[in-house]
Amino acid sequence: MRRTLLWLIPMLCLWLVPAFADDSSFPDTPGQDPVQSGEQIYMQICQGCHMPAGQGAVGAGHYPALGGDAALAAWKYPVLTVLGGRHGMPPFGLPATSLALQELRTVHLSDAQIANVVNYIRTSFGNHYPDMVSEAQVAALPHPGRR
Amino acid sequence: MASDSGQDGLTRRELLRRVGLMAGGSVMYQAMNSLALAAESPWKGPTELKGAPPGASVLILGAGMAGMTAAYELRNAGYKVQVLEFNNRAGGRNWTLHGGDRYTELGGETQHCEFDPGLYINPGPWRIPYHHHGILSYCKRLGVALEPFVQVNYNALLHGSKAFGGKPQRFREIKADYQGQVAELLAKATHQHALDSLVTREDQERLLESLRGWGALDSDFRYVAGDVSGERRGYLKPPGGGLTARPESGTPIQLDDILQSGLWRGVSSGDHYDMQTALFQPVGGMGRIGEAFGRELAGLIRYQAKVTSIQQDAAGVTVHYDDASKPGVSQTARADWCLCTIPLPILAEIPMNVGEQLGAAIGAVPYASSVKVGLQFKRRFWEEDDHIFGGISYTDLPITNIGYPSTGFHANGKGVLLGAYIWGLNAMEFTSMTPGERVQKAVEYGSQIHPQYKTEFDNGVAVAWHRVPFTQGCYGMWTTEARARHYDDLCAIDGRIALAGEHASFIGGWQEGAVTSALDAVGRLHQRAVAQGASA
Ligand SMILES: Cc1cc2nc3c(=O)[nH]c(=O)nc-3n(C[C@H](O)[C@H](O)[C@H](O)COP(=O)(O)OP(=O)(O)OC[C@H]3O[C@@H](n4cnc5c(N)ncnc54)[C@H](O)[C@@H]3O)c2cc1C
Ligand code: HEC
Repeated sequence: MRRTLLWLIPMLCLWLVPAFADDSSFPDTPGQDPVQSGEQIYMQICQGCHMPAGQGAVGAGHYPALGGDAALAAWKYPVLTVLGGRHGMPPFGLPATSLALQELRTVHLSDAQIANVVNYIRTSFGNHYPDMVSEAQVAALPHPGRR
Repeated sequence: MASDSGQDGLTRRELLRRVGLMAGGSVMYQAMNSLALAAESPWKGPTELKGAPPGASVLILGAGMAGMTAAYELRNAGYKVQVLEFNNRAGGRNWTLHGGDRYTELGGETQHCEFDPGLYINPGPWRIPYHHHGILSYCKRLGVALEPFVQVNYNALLHGSKAFGGKPQRFREIKADYQGQVAELLAKATHQHALDSLVTREDQERLLESLRGWGALDSDFRYVAGDVSGERRGYLKPPGGGLTARPESGTPIQLDDILQSGLWRGVSSGDHYDMQTALFQPVGGMGRIGEAFGRELAGLIRYQAKVTSIQQDAAGVTVHYDDASKPGVSQTARADWCLCTIPLPILAEIPMNVGEQLGAAIGAVPYASSVKVGLQFKRRFWEEDDHIFGGISYTDLPITNIGYPSTGFHANGKGVLLGAYIWGLNAMEFTSMTPGERVQKAVEYGSQIHPQYKTEFDNGVAVAWHRVPFTQGCYGMWTTEARARHYDDLCAIDGRIALAGEHASFIGGWQEGAVTSALDAVGRLHQRAVAQGASA
C-alpha cells in the first residue's frame, strides 16, 4: 500500500479537543518516513478535493480546477493559499504543535513539502510554469499561527 | 448504597469549595459539571412563535435540520415560507443509505448500495444523546420512533496494532484491570501516608473504602485474580450450573502492559458528556427524521434548487437558483426575510451582499475531513462468534472505529457494520481514493481485528465528506481564535439575512447545534419582523 503521511500529524492531543460527533479514542498510528514528493502529497491530500487530474468538481458549490488555472502563474498565490487555506480549503501551514492545528484537525506540511506540492501542481494537469519554488521562498512568506 | 447524591449533607457550595481547595481549577470544573451548574442545554422547551406580521414571508435556504426546524416554526407562526433545497430529498446531512439507494459524489463516482432489505448505514449522524432535547422534541412531535443506540459495550474490543501482538483486547478486561490497579496504587499511597497532607484521616478511611469498591480490590486492597475482580473483568470460564459450574478466573493484565499499550485511551470513551448513556437512534435509520420533516413541510420545499446568488435590498431578499429539472434557466425567489443554512464552504462561493463582518465570518470556518464506510457481511459474526451486540470497537488503525448495529440483534441473514469512521489526515487519504478502494482498505484493516471479514464480506459503500456535493465537508471546525473573532458576526442578522446551522452553534457536529441555532435565529428574525410591522 502507499506510504502514509501519518508522521506529519503531531500526536493529536484528543483531550484538548472537544468530542463533538467525533470519538476516535486513539491518536493516529505513528508513521513512517516523511513523504516529500509533491506528487505523493497531491495524491494523498489535495486530490480529495481538487480531483486526481486537477479538474476540480461542481456540486451545490465547487472545488476549483488547478489544470489551466491562470492564478497559478504567480507562485506566491498557490503557496499562500496552501499555507493559510481559504474558505472551504483548510490551512496546511499551521505550526505542527499548535492548538489551532488540532482544533481544525487539519495537517501540517513543512515548507519543503509545500514547495514540492506547489511545484507539482504548477507543472502538471497541462500547467507549464518553469520557475521552481524553493523551501526558502516558502519560509519567507507569512504563515498562519506564527507570531 | 441507595443514595447516589454522595454529598453527605454538605451544601453544594460547600462541596464545591472543598473540591476547589483540594484539587485546583480543572477538578472544580468537572465537579461543577457533575452537579449540573455549568453546561446547561440552550433548549428551553418548544418555541411556539406566534403572530407573524400579516403577509410577511421568509425564504429558507437548505432543507437540513436547521432549515426545516426554522420552516416548521415560522410556518406555525403564520409566515409565508418557502424552502429551496439542492438535493431531491429533505434532511441534508441527516441521511441514511439503504439497499437500492444510489449516491454520486463530487468527481462523478456513483455507488449503488447493495445492502439487503432493512439494512442500512448512516453516513452522517448516527446517535443522539438524551440531553439533545431540541432534536429529540422534534422526533417526538413528528412521530419518529426511537430505539437505544449502544455506545459503550464492555464486550467490544480495544485494539492497538502494536500492542499485545496485535491481538484485540476486551474493553471489559482493560477497563477493570486498569481501574483495579490504579485503585490499588492509590490505596498503597494512602497506606504509606503519601496523602496525609492532602486528605484528612477520616477521609482517608472513606477513600480506601471507595477505592475498594471502585477498583474491585480484595480485603487487603489488592487487585488480584479471583471472584472479586472476576465480577468486573469476567472469567476464563464463567460460572454455570451443575457439575461443570465452577468458575475459573483469568489473570489480570499487568498495569505496565496496559499503560504501554495505550489501550487505556479507550476506557473513558463513554464518559464524554455527549456519549453518556442513554443515547438514541431513529428506528430505520437517522434519515427518518429528515423524511418526517419533509412530509410535514410538503409543498413548502422546492427540491433540486441550487442557490446561486443572494441579494438583499431595503424591502426584501432576492435569491437566484438553478432548477435541475429546467437546466439553463435561472429562477428567482423573493421574500421579506431570508434564513440561510447553506454549509459555509458552499456559501463562501455564492455571491451575496452582506457586510464585511459577516462575509469574513463565512470564510473563516473550514470543514473537517471525515469518512464513513458501511460494510455488509453474509452473517452477523460479531454477534454469533464474538458476542458483541452493538457498541464500538476502537483501534489505532486508520479505520479508528468498528461500529456494530444497535438493532436487529440475533437476526439471521446478513448484517451491516460501520467499518470505518475516519478523521484527520487518514480521512484526507481515504477521501483521495475511489469509493471502491476505500471499501477495500476498510476490509483489509478490519480483518486484523475480525478475521471473519476475509470470508464473510459481501459489499460496501463509502462516503467521504469532503466529496459530498451538498456540504463539501463534515462539519465546521472553529479555532478558539476564529470563534472569538467571528462567531458573533456569523450569528448576527445582517439586514434581512440571518444564518443558521450546525456551524452557527457551540454544538458543532451535532444535529442539536443545527436545531438550537435555527430556533435562536428565527426568534430574533421574528422580533425584527414584528418590530418592522407588516410585510414589505
Ligand atoms: C460523519 C458525520 C457524523 C455525524 N454524527 C452525528 C451524530 O452522531 N449525531 C448528531 O446529532 N449529529 C451528527 N453529525 C452532525 C449533523 O449531521 C449536523 O450537525 C447537522 O445535520 C447539520 O444540519 P444543518 O441543517 O446545519 O446542515 P445540513 O444538514 O448540511 O443542511 C444544509 C442543507 O443545505 C443544502 N444546500 C447546500 N448548498 C445549497 C445550495 N447551493 N442551494 C440550495 N441548497 C443547498 C444541502 O443540500 C442541505 O440539505 C454528524 C455529521 C457528520 C458529517
Ligand atoms: C478540503 C478540500 C480541499 C483540499 C484538501 C485542498 N483544497 Fe485547495 N482549494 C479548496 C477550495 C474550496 C478552494 C477555493 C477557495 C476559494 O477561493 O474560495 C481551493 C483553492 C486552491 C487553490 C487556488 C485556486 C484558485 O484558482 O484560486 C490552490 C492553488 C489550491 N487550492 C491548492 C491545493 C493544494 C496544493 C492542496 C493540497 C496540499 C489543496 N489545495 C487541498 C479545497 C481544498
